Amino acid sequence: MQADNKLIKDLTPEIEKTSLKWYITFFTFLGFFALGIYGLIQQIDKGHIVTGMRDNVVWGFYIVNFIFFMGLSYSGALISGVLHLFNTGWRKPVIRMAELITIISLIIGPFFIFFCIGRLDRLYFLFIHPRIQSPITWDVIAIMTDLVGCFIYLYLSFIEDFAILRDYKGLKVPAWKKKLYKILSLGFNGTEKELKILANARTIMSVMIIAIAIIVYSVLAWIFGVTLQPGWHSTIFGPYFVIAAVFSGTGLLIILMWIFRKVYHLEEYITKRHFVNVGVLLTVIAAFYGYFTFSDYLTKWYGSIKMDSILIDKLFSDYYSLFIFANYIGIILPCIIIAFPRFRTIPNITVAAVIALLALWVNRYIIVIPTLETPFLPIQDTRPDWINYSPTWVEWSLTLAGVSIFVMLFMLVSKIAPIISISEMQEQDKDEILK
Amino acid sequence: MKELEENESEMSSRRNFLKKVGIGVGAVSIAGVAGTSVIAGTKSKSGEKIKLLSPDGTLVEVDKDDIKPAKEIVEELKTEARKGLPNRKFVMVIDLARCKNARKCVEACQEGHLLPKDHEWMKLFLLQDDLSTARYWFPRPCFHCDKPMCVSVCPVGATYKRPDGVVLIDNQRCIGCKFCMTGCPYSARVFNWKDPEVKVPAGHVYNPEDNIPAVEGTVGKCIFCADNLRKNILPRCVTACPMGVIYFGDLLEDTITNSTETVRFSKIMLDRAGYRYREELGTLPSVYYLPPTQRMFPVESGLEGTDESIKGRYKNAGPR
Amino acid sequence: MKKNISFTLLLIFSLITVCSDLYSQDKTLISPYIQLQYFKNTDDQRILKTTLTYSLNRMELPLAGMEITFYSGGDKKEILGTGLTDDKGAVKLELKDDLKIAADDAGMWAFNTEFKGNDTIEAASADISVKDVTLEVTYTEPDSIKTVTVKAYTSGQGKELPASGEPVLVYVPRMFSLLQIGEITLDDNGTGSIEFPGDLPGDKEGNITVITRFEENATFGNVEKQVQLKWGIPTDYSHPTTKRALWTKTAPRWMIYTLTILLSGVWGHYLFAIISLIRIRILAKRREEEDNYGK
Repeated sequence: MQADNKLIKDLTPEIEKTSLKWYITFFTFLGFFALGIYGLIQQIDKGHIVTGMRDNVVWGFYIVNFIFFMGLSYSGALISGVLHLFNTGWRKPVIRMAELITIISLIIGPFFIFFCIGRLDRLYFLFIHPRIQSPITWDVIAIMTDLVGCFIYLYLSFIEDFAILRDYKGLKVPAWKKKLYKILSLGFNGTEKELKILANARTIMSVMIIAIAIIVYSVLAWIFGVTLQPGWHSTIFGPYFVIAAVFSGTGLLIILMWIFRKVYHLEEYITKRHFVNVGVLLTVIAAFYGYFTFSDYLTKWYGSIKMDSILIDKLFSDYYSLFIFANYIGIILPCIIIAFPRFRTIPNITVAAVIALLALWVNRYIIVIPTLETPFLPIQDTRPDWINYSPTWVEWSLTLAGVSIFVMLFMLVSKIAPIISISEMQEQDKDEILK
Repeated sequence: MKELEENESEMSSRRNFLKKVGIGVGAVSIAGVAGTSVIAGTKSKSGEKIKLLSPDGTLVEVDKDDIKPAKEIVEELKTEARKGLPNRKFVMVIDLARCKNARKCVEACQEGHLLPKDHEWMKLFLLQDDLSTARYWFPRPCFHCDKPMCVSVCPVGATYKRPDGVVLIDNQRCIGCKFCMTGCPYSARVFNWKDPEVKVPAGHVYNPEDNIPAVEGTVGKCIFCADNLRKNILPRCVTACPMGVIYFGDLLEDTITNSTETVRFSKIMLDRAGYRYREELGTLPSVYYLPPTQRMFPVESGLEGTDESIKGRYKNAGPR
Repeated sequence: MKKNISFTLLLIFSLITVCSDLYSQDKTLISPYIQLQYFKNTDDQRILKTTLTYSLNRMELPLAGMEITFYSGGDKKEILGTGLTDDKGAVKLELKDDLKIAADDAGMWAFNTEFKGNDTIEAASADISVKDVTLEVTYTEPDSIKTVTVKAYTSGQGKELPASGEPVLVYVPRMFSLLQIGEITLDDNGTGSIEFPGDLPGDKEGNITVITRFEENATFGNVEKQVQLKWGIPTDYSHPTTKRALWTKTAPRWMIYTLTILLSGVWGHYLFAIISLIRIRILAKRREEEDNYGK
C-alpha cells in the first residue's frame, strides 16, 4: 500500500531512530518500576502486613489503582468505538493513541488485583473452581473478554498501517522490523474487497467494544454495589462508574496528545481543533459525572439513615480536602477552562485534563476507603493503623511502578507502530481534498 | 461376680500412640484418629498386616487398609466438613444482661484454635445506640447467617454454608481476595496479614472443622467449633464463659444450654424478647441476643481490671 | 579459733536447714479430691463410680491411671474390685445382680473407695451409704395430656416403704445436655406425676427419650429409668435451604442462562472478526499466487 511520502516522513521517524532522550526517559521509568518490584518482593516475603491494609480497610491503594487503570481503558471505547460509529472526522489522529491507552491499561489493571490477593500461588483457582454467583468471577470473565476484544480491534486498525510500512521503500529500519510488518500485515493490499471486509469487521468490533466496555465497568462497580456496606450499597454505582471511567479515559487522552505532539513534533496533525474537540467531550462528560456524583451524595446526605450520615460526616471531616478536590474542583475547573473561549489554549486544556485525571483517582480513593473505615460495628481498637488506613511505601512504589510500566509500554509501542494512524490520516486528506 | 469395665486409659494411650506412629512413617497417617467420622473400615479389610515400629521401640501390627496417605485423609475430611452433621441446625443465644467483658470466651477460642494473640474470632464491643439508651457489652462471634453474603461473593467457593447451619472456610482453597471480608456487614472475619507462626501439634492433619493451622494470606473466622460439635461437645466460648452468657444448641431440638443451664429456645426467646443484630440486613443470622435488661453487673465492671491495651479500645465507645 | 569453728558450724547448720527446706518443698504431695457415686440405671444395673481429681490454678484436673479400690460393708471392708482411672479421672465398677451385699440395720449398703496414694499424691478415700429403691415410671395420656407418673418405694421386712418427700427429676436428653422437664416431689404414698409438654421436637418419627431419676439423692444415690416414646413432634429436616441460591454450590438458573447468552453473543462476534482476518489473508494469498502465476 502506498501513502503520501510526507505523511510517512512525518509519522515514522520515531520508528526509525531512537533518540538519547528516549533512552533516558525509558530507563528512568524502568528505575521506578524496579523500585516497585522490590516493594512487591518485600510484600511476598513478609506478607501483606507491609502494606497499610488491615482487618477493616482490607482494600486500599491496589484496588483504587485497579479501578483507575480499568477506567482509563475507556478512552479507546469512546473515541474508537462511539466516534467511529458517528463517523466523526476530526478524531482520526487520536484514534491510535486512544486504542493503545485501552489495551495497555487493560493489561496493567489486573496486576493490581494480583498484588491485593493474599495467595498468589492459588490464583489459578479462579479458573478451576469458579463460582458464577460471585462478582469477582463476572469480573474475571469480563476483563478477559474485553482484553481479547480490544486486541482484535487494535489489530484490525493496525493492519493497514503495517501494510503501508511494509511497502514503504525508504524505511530505514532493521530487517527484523521489516519482517514483522510483513507478517503482521497479512498480505493486505488495499483492494476494494479487502477494504470492505476490514471496514465491516471494524464496525462490528466497535459495537462490541462499546458493549463489552460498559459490561466490564458495570461489573466492576457491582463488586462494590452488591455488598451491604454503607456508601457502597448504591443503586447508581453501575452507570456512575461507567461515566467516571469515560471521564478519566478522555482526560488521559488529552494528556497523551499533548506529550506526543511535543515529543514527536506532530503539531500539524494534532491541532488546537483536536484539543478543543476532545476538551468539549471532557466537559460534557464532566457534567454527567458531576451530576451522578451530586445525585449519589445528595440522596445519602438528605436521608437520615445513620450509617449514611456517619459516612458523610467522615467525608466532610477526615477527607474534606480530598472530597472537595475530587468532586468539586475536579469537575468545575475543567468545565470553566474549556467552556470559555478565552481560556481555551492547548496548555490550559492539558492542565484541565491533568486535574480531571487526578481528581478521578482521588474519587476512587474516596469511594473505597472511607466506607471500609465506617463499618456497621464500630472499629474498637488501640492500634492506629487498624483504625485509619495509611498507605505504606510498598503501596506508593507499586502505584508508581504501574504508572511507569504504562509509560514504558507506550514508548515501546511507539517504536514499532506509528502513534498516529497513517492510513486514517490518508483517508482524511482524501476526504478534505474531495470536499 | 466382679467385673471391671474396660477402662479407657489404655484405649486412649493406644490411640495416642497410633497418632504418633503416623508421623514416623513419612507422609502416611493412620485413618480415623483425627477424631472425625472418617473410618478406614468402609472398605473390607485386606487382612494384610504391616509391622510398624512405635516411638518407644515396640513392634505394632496394623491392618494395611488402615494406613492411608495424608492427602487422601485431608480430602475425606474436607468432604465430611462440607456435609456437616445430619439433622442439625445450630443456633446460639447470647445473654447481654450477663456479659461483663470477662474475655474468657476470647481466650478459650484463641487457645482452642491456636490463634495468634491479635486474632479475635470472638470479639467484644462496647455499644450504646444512643446517649439515652443503655450501654452494653456485645460479644460477636460469626453469625453463621442463613443468607450469608460472604459465601455469595467468594469467587472460588472457599467458604461455604452447610446444611447444619455452620459456615466454614477451607484454608487450602482460599486465595485471599478478601471479598468476603467486605461482604460481611458484621466484620466477623480476620485476615492473616503475616505468617501466624502457629505451633501445630505433631500428627495433626488439616481439617476445615478446626482450621488449624491458620494459613498466611487466607481468611479466618469463628466456626462454631465444628470439631467439637462432631463429638457432641459445646463450642469453647460457651463452656469458658464464667457468667454463662453464651447458650448453644440445636434449633431442631428447641433446646440450648450454656453448660450449666439448659432451656428451651422458643421459651427463652419469648420470655426475654430475643432478637437478632440488625435484622433488617436480612442475612438471617443464627446468633440471637437477649436484651441487656436487669443487668447482673454494671457495665463499668467490664473495664476494671483489664489490660490498658484492651481498655483503650473503648475510650471512644458511644453512640455514633 | 573457737570463734571460727562456731561460725563454720553455724554456716553448715544453716545450709543444711535451707537444703532440707528445698528438698522438702519438692516433697509436698498433691492433695486429691475423691468422689464416690452410686448409679442404678434403667436396666437395674448397679454401678459404683469413683472420680479422682485435683485442683490447680482454680481448675479441676483429672488424675488418670491411678489405682482405685472399691469396698463394701462399712467397717468390714470386703473388697469388691480395683481399677485404673481413665483420662477423665473416673473408674466404674459394675455390681452384678448375684452379688450379695450385707445391709446394715437401717437397710443401707455402705460402700467405700480408696486411693492408696503414691510418691506424689496423697492417699484419699470416700464412702457412701445407699438404700436400694425401686423406681416405677408409667407414661400415660389421660385427656390427651401426656403425663409421667412415678412410684418409688424401698423394700423392707417384706413390705413396701414409700419414698415420700423425695424429689424425682424428669429429663429429655438433647445433643449437649439434658433438658429438665420438671421436678416431682413424691407424696406420702411415694407417688407423683408431672405433665409432659406436647410440643417438644423428637426425631423423624417423633421418638423422644424420657429419663426419670433420683439425682444424687442422699439416701438412694442415682437411680434412673429411661424409655423411648413417641411423645415428640416428628421433625424431618430435609434439606432446608433452596437448592439454588447466591450462596449455594449451583447458581440460580437465570444467572447461568444470562451469562451464556451474553458470552456467546460477544465471543461469536469476535469469531466473526477473526474470520474476516482469515478471509483477508486468503484473498492476499490468492492474489500472490495469481501474481506469481502471471510472472
